[in-house]
Amino acid sequence: MSQSIVQKQLNILDYALSSLVRRKLKNCGIFLVFAAVIFLLASFQLVTGALTQSADNILTSVPDITVQQMEAGRQVPISIQSLKKLDKLFGIRKKSGRIWGYYFDEKNGANYTVLGLDFGRIKPGKQLNLSLAHGRFPTAGSEGEVVLGPSVMRNLDLGTRQSFSLFRPDMSMVSFKKVGVFSRETALVSDDLIIMSIDDARELFAMAQGEITDLMIQVGNANEIDTIARKIGDLLPGVRVLTKAQIRKTYQVVFSWRSGFGSICLIASLAAFVILAWDKASGLSQEEKKEVGILKILGWQTSDIMAIRFWESCVVSGLSFIVGYSLAWIHVSWYDGVLFSPVLLGWSVLKPSFSLVPVLSLTDVLLVFSFSVVPYLGATVVPAWRSAIVRPDSVI
Amino acid sequence: MRPSFFFFFLLVLLLTVDGYLYLSAQKGYPVHSKDQEVMRQVVAAFGLSDLAVATEARYTRHPAVSDTMVPFMDHPGSIEHFPTGSFWYPEK
Repeated sequence: MSQSIVQKQLNILDYALSSLVRRKLKNCGIFLVFAAVIFLLASFQLVTGALTQSADNILTSVPDITVQQMEAGRQVPISIQSLKKLDKLFGIRKKSGRIWGYYFDEKNGANYTVLGLDFGRIKPGKQLNLSLAHGRFPTAGSEGEVVLGPSVMRNLDLGTRQSFSLFRPDMSMVSFKKVGVFSRETALVSDDLIIMSIDDARELFAMAQGEITDLMIQVGNANEIDTIARKIGDLLPGVRVLTKAQIRKTYQVVFSWRSGFGSICLIASLAAFVILAWDKASGLSQEEKKEVGILKILGWQTSDIMAIRFWESCVVSGLSFIVGYSLAWIHVSWYDGVLFSPVLLGWSVLKPSFSLVPVLSLTDVLLVFSFSVVPYLGATVVPAWRSAIVRPDSVI
Repeated sequence: MRPSFFFFFLLVLLLTVDGYLYLSAQKGYPVHSKDQEVMRQVVAAFGLSDLAVATEARYTRHPAVSDTMVPFMDHPGSIEHFPTGSFWYPEK
């Protein structure tokens, strides 16, 4: 019994494939457009998945708590004395201040991220030195020494020069000496960085003595992070306290389907395709109607004709899905999602050259499948039924 | 050959190509993991909070430490206008 059912479906599939080949121009057109839509959807999902995965893996070592002073809803400098106020809190393993700011390079419109740190507290290890393409990190007490991100290095057009100058707010100049450059392999976190001592950063931004922008706190027991964060908020009025969990959570949602670009462009292209599929499937030619009429005269049931249409839709959508998803994989794996780069980077002058490693997950595959193949099958059901109920005597 | 057999053959061929693509991507994972370990050290040493992807606006360069009002703070009546702002979903 089951063998005869399989044999019957194989025969219907044979007929459906022959039918698809007979109308190859129309079906090739649908196949190409459908594969292109799936390629876009899958590429978007793979790019955002790869970035989310990278963020999840890399940002495991962010400070447990970051503290910033707010005033009138904006971030302002915080006194370094605030660190002393935290001495009375138990559970803090390590605390330090830093200056974190942005330098706008008027010459070429690039934004650099400037980090001023106390190098006495940073212990360069073997792994940390691996992050440099060449050179070293500034030493404690050194003046004017900086480490540059790869794009900053390229953008400043330093060539073989070691020294360069940046402008203070009053347009006077501060000279710096490049002592190291981050490697391209770490560009995903270091591309636009200029790392310098905290005193040099204070001088560059013309900040008052004793002023910093952030406090970085490491907590002894990870279970106490939220409690200590709450106590810091009580102790230092008007501060914003960010925990490691909040920072990591950002990257779970920041590249989202619901983002403006994702929802408008991709859903619109999918909707356009479903309309096209409906139109193509419902526009039965006289020849197609005649074919259905002959089949019915030969004894085929309405359900058999619907089965033909079902198999046709399955073949077109299945092949389109496999080809579209494979092309998306190649696009992200080999070409680092180059089509989405302009959207990811926007007007950024610095363009990081990070490599994306796509992640294969069943959830993503099913999501793309249900957003593309299922609507297509749905859009072709009614036209298939309408074609199957054609009366033989009305078309022959 | 029956058309359905040809179709199944094509299906197997495509899935074999997919398998090759997946395995070739897998080859890059050890190098990628090593790079990620170095990046973790950089993040830990300098207290970084974000990926350096979009540098055009402060809130897309550092979304994790920016609040949702930042895009509208440039001046009264300011609207969010950076291209990457439409791609990055604000955390709630």
